[in-house]
Amino acid sequence: MILKYSIQRLLMIIPVSLAISVVIFLIVHLLPGDPIDNLIRVGSSPEDRIALTAKYGLDQSLFEQYFLWISQIMTGDFGQAIVLRRPVADLIAQNLPYSLQLGGLAFLFSSIVGLILGIVAWASQKTWGEQFVKGFILLGSTVPGFWLALLMILFFAVNLGWFPVSGARDWTALVLPVLTIGFGGIALVARVTRVALLEVGREDFITLLHAKGLSRPTILFRHLIPHALLPVVTILALRIGWILGGAVTVEFVFGRPGLGSLLIRALGQRDYPVVQGSLLMLALAVMIGTLIGDIAQAAMDPRIREATK
Amino acid sequence: MTSAVWNKLSGFAPFRAFSSAIGIVAGGFLILLLLVAFFAPWITPFDVAAQNLANANAAPGWPHIMGTDEFGRDVFSRVLYGARTSLSVSATAIAISVSVGMLLGAAAGYFGGLFERAVMTVVDLTWSFPDILIALIFVAIIGPGLTSTTFAIAIAYLAQFTRLTRAQIVRLKSETFVEATINLGATPAHVVLRHLLPNALAPVIVVGMLAVGDGIVLEATLGFFGLGAQPPTPSWGAMMSSGTAQLFISPWVIIYPGVAVAATVIAVNLFGDELVRALDIRDRVRS
Amino acid sequence: MRNLTKLNLLSRSAMLSVGIIAMGFSSMAMAGEATVALPASELGATSYDPIRSSNLNAATSLIYDRLVEQDADQSFHPHLAVSWEESADGLSWTFKLRDGVKFHDGEVFNAETIASWIPDFKDTENAFLVAAIEKVEVVDPLTVRFVMSRPEPNLLYNLASTFMGIPGQKSYDSLGEDYGVSTAVGTGPFKLTKFEIGLETVVTRNDDYAWPSALSTNQGAAHLETVTFREIPDQSTAFLELKTGGIDVLMGVPTDFLPILKAEENVGVITMAGTGISYMPINTTSAPFDDIKVRQATALAINQKAILESVYKGVGSQANHFLIDTLPAGDVNPKLLVSFDAAKSKALLDEAGWAMGDDGVRMKDGAPLQVKLFTKNDSDLKRLTQVVQAQLKDVGIDAVITVFDSSTIRDEYKKNNHQLAVRSYDWNNSDILEWFFSGTRLGYPNVSMWTDEKSEMLKDAAMTKSSTSAERIANFKAYHEHLLSQHLFAPLYQPAQNIAFNKDTVTVPDAIRGPRFRSQTFVDIDVVK
Repeated sequence: MILKYSIQRLLMIIPVSLAISVVIFLIVHLLPGDPIDNLIRVGSSPEDRIALTAKYGLDQSLFEQYFLWISQIMTGDFGQAIVLRRPVADLIAQNLPYSLQLGGLAFLFSSIVGLILGIVAWASQKTWGEQFVKGFILLGSTVPGFWLALLMILFFAVNLGWFPVSGARDWTALVLPVLTIGFGGIALVARVTRVALLEVGREDFITLLHAKGLSRPTILFRHLIPHALLPVVTILALRIGWILGGAVTVEFVFGRPGLGSLLIRALGQRDYPVVQGSLLMLALAVMIGTLIGDIAQAAMDPRIREATK
Repeated sequence: MTSAVWNKLSGFAPFRAFSSAIGIVAGGFLILLLLVAFFAPWITPFDVAAQNLANANAAPGWPHIMGTDEFGRDVFSRVLYGARTSLSVSATAIAISVSVGMLLGAAAGYFGGLFERAVMTVVDLTWSFPDILIALIFVAIIGPGLTSTTFAIAIAYLAQFTRLTRAQIVRLKSETFVEATINLGATPAHVVLRHLLPNALAPVIVVGMLAVGDGIVLEATLGFFGLGAQPPTPSWGAMMSSGTAQLFISPWVIIYPGVAVAATVIAVNLFGDELVRALDIRDRVRS
Repeated sequence: MRNLTKLNLLSRSAMLSVGIIAMGFSSMAMAGEATVALPASELGATSYDPIRSSNLNAATSLIYDRLVEQDADQSFHPHLAVSWEESADGLSWTFKLRDGVKFHDGEVFNAETIASWIPDFKDTENAFLVAAIEKVEVVDPLTVRFVMSRPEPNLLYNLASTFMGIPGQKSYDSLGEDYGVSTAVGTGPFKLTKFEIGLETVVTRNDDYAWPSALSTNQGAAHLETVTFREIPDQSTAFLELKTGGIDVLMGVPTDFLPILKAEENVGVITMAGTGISYMPINTTSAPFDDIKVRQATALAINQKAILESVYKGVGSQANHFLIDTLPAGDVNPKLLVSFDAAKSKALLDEAGWAMGDDGVRMKDGAPLQVKLFTKNDSDLKRLTQVVQAQLKDVGIDAVITVFDSSTIRDEYKKNNHQLAVRSYDWNNSDILEWFFSGTRLGYPNVSMWTDEKSEMLKDAAMTKSSTSAERIANFKAYHEHLLSQHLFAPLYQPAQNIAFNKDTVTVPDAIRGPRFRSQTFVDIDVVK
């Protein structure tokens, strides 16, 4: 049942990504300006400019350019960057690990802390504990990321000198960016966990387990938390786009490379193949993430599982 | 105030949100902020654009209680005026987002089928896409300025309201009173506009209000990248962008607008929570 | 002396203990290592291929040597060419090459290298550098002759440019388009060991290096073993890196940070003459700027002295024409220099029919003098633009600022949507006049949208019809003077290049030779022992 559903959804990705490719192509070519001005230098002639435009095929109709691009993509070739002058696939491959590292660690950090805080808030209902967690959640979800990043640099990197100000040299350079992004994520995870626990706690089978005389911790760890994990996993899958490309601001402040930075830089230089390639890749990742999230939800839903037992 | 009037008012849900201490403080702060935003051009102690380079980067003191920026402009006046820019951009953006999102969501939820599939595919995709990327790309296409920032934020949050409205409509559609109206021969437009949307309104409005907070943060982030309000118009984000280089020289230029953003968003969230409680729509807001 | 050593030792051991406490949290300059942050203007190099690339940075100058080197005063000095001679008609140049020079991969540098290198420029973005060279003749293994298609008094300038660093021909030919991405072979004092695009470039010492130019004090291999060039997009972040010891040298310190850096005991600051100016082009096709009086009034409203003093704290110098101070073509008739004159500006506006209105904005036929003022999304230019806006306001011009990204703003220029703009350029040659005012490039780069017969004629004379250096200077001066007389722009400011370094970790020579902070200085940099 779940298998058939998954295959159906998987097949849907093909037409959808084709439609997306058209949208992305149009968006990119709607941008005012072109990449050629980033290539010419003082002293080159207007004829050089025309020659360059022709060299990169930018003098062809949009229709032709699109088909050239999409047929390349079909063969797995993301094309060659115009301004950055190397295969787009190489550029993505170079930046992806940085994004995965930062996004993955930030997510792990916020999941763990968020889960704990969510459980604490749930377990300490109507006490100061709940208020504290709620306050923390509120703070985390309201502070602009770049502002937090700046303050972190000022405090931990400059005043205390514990971590480097910027760059991506070793693990120490990861700490502040991970904390900055993770802080915002904690709020989300804690909120979702708390609500999920409240909801699962109300389910009949939990009441039944209580009635069976199981201890509270057993119920919490054996039954409640596994169920509360479901929404967290779902968020992870749904947020894959954020993990890969959402760290632009933090990457900018900490001078870190990454997919988001690559995209923004290419966008500024109108490096069409790079913008198109990285947006398409992000869109694909998002679709697969959503798919996994949905399947996970379907597969792990306690009601569905209980029903199939 | 007579008790009759009070009873009537307290029957009106938003006023019930003021019934707790948190509601009073958060709501009061928001009302004050709205007043400041509205009257900003008349109440700022200094001209927000007047430069005094000789007095640049002055530390907080008197008469500049939040200090001055790199042009010697009064930070306090600019923070006050920034409320006007930030609130109006964010609120307008979310209003557009809510209206369009509700129409799209309602149509999708009501008609179902291929139309719903198409709308929801697009919506799910944009919902999973980082809002800052959507906004940055959009501003790059239509150019800088407050109008484009407003539309960029509206587009970034469109998916959220479309999803929410659709969920409400799908839920309501199965309820008996709707079936009854359809059986009585009402047109689809009539059903959606007169019966479904009004019922779905409350949760969407509340989520919309909470989203104004997110919109302020997004506006600040765009401002930080130098998009949005054009100088010398103050906006909280833009103030922090010209302040980045100044983090060391004059931290107050960054700290105060940041605090303003955080305080506003916290107030919006707290008051929003109180509203949710007062309206008793917690189950419907989450989706 | 002895005391000094002792003190040094003490401070070093103190630093060591701090280092132990910090446990590798901050990267300190280790033996023979230095980390350098590139300036904003040198970010974004995509390869170390000097022939095909259009964007090169300081690290390129360490990998490759050039035939000649330029000094800050525009004079030229031997490097891989020990001497040269130009024929009287300017149609032939003969270069004697240095003996015993080897590329990083062992290939020998000689006349054949030059003969195979020059033709490589054909059909690249940099072809214009050698456009006047018809062919290269090998006279003997250490002598080459350039046969010119026309006299090119600017040849030495081109040869000294980073783009004419000489790559190893074997490596260049065998790698093709991939050359410069992970492999770059030159004869320079450092070898490329790692290049991560947009992030960092690591170069290590070429131990065989025995041919620095006379611009360096050190006449052997470099002192430093490794130099890491980091690309930090945000200049304030780079500044904090210097403060916290993350980098040793900061090229391109923003002027706002100078007072703080100068106050730090362990930071050395070097100020060099700049290589460009900031200016405000005036769109001559857009009313009211089609009226020359309004253009002149606008230019006279700019207070260069106030800009230098309050925005840049006196660092750099005033700009009163289009070229940098060291260029002789900037030595124009003093009457044509543009400098602040509020009274004249106001009088000219009155004459042009723009009378002062009640709200401080001038009016003509019921319309206010409201104009568009564009700038790029760059924090330094944004700051300058806001000051310009305030200065224009003082004479009754209401300028509305719009900040664009660099690609969009060029598109706006090309669509002729602009009126005034705040821009800057970085180029230390008079031919920049042709780049920004040639009638063949209206919109962008000719943002002033200026073209007239006389300008075109003077431009052609300056660009291609000068046979000697002196003649070229005179021609450019005439062209420059004509442009000034038409009030096409307002000069704003001449920035200085500021370089800061950590005195605790590295030593940098006091006197920097050359127009920029390049290889001639890097071979002299040493770590503090």
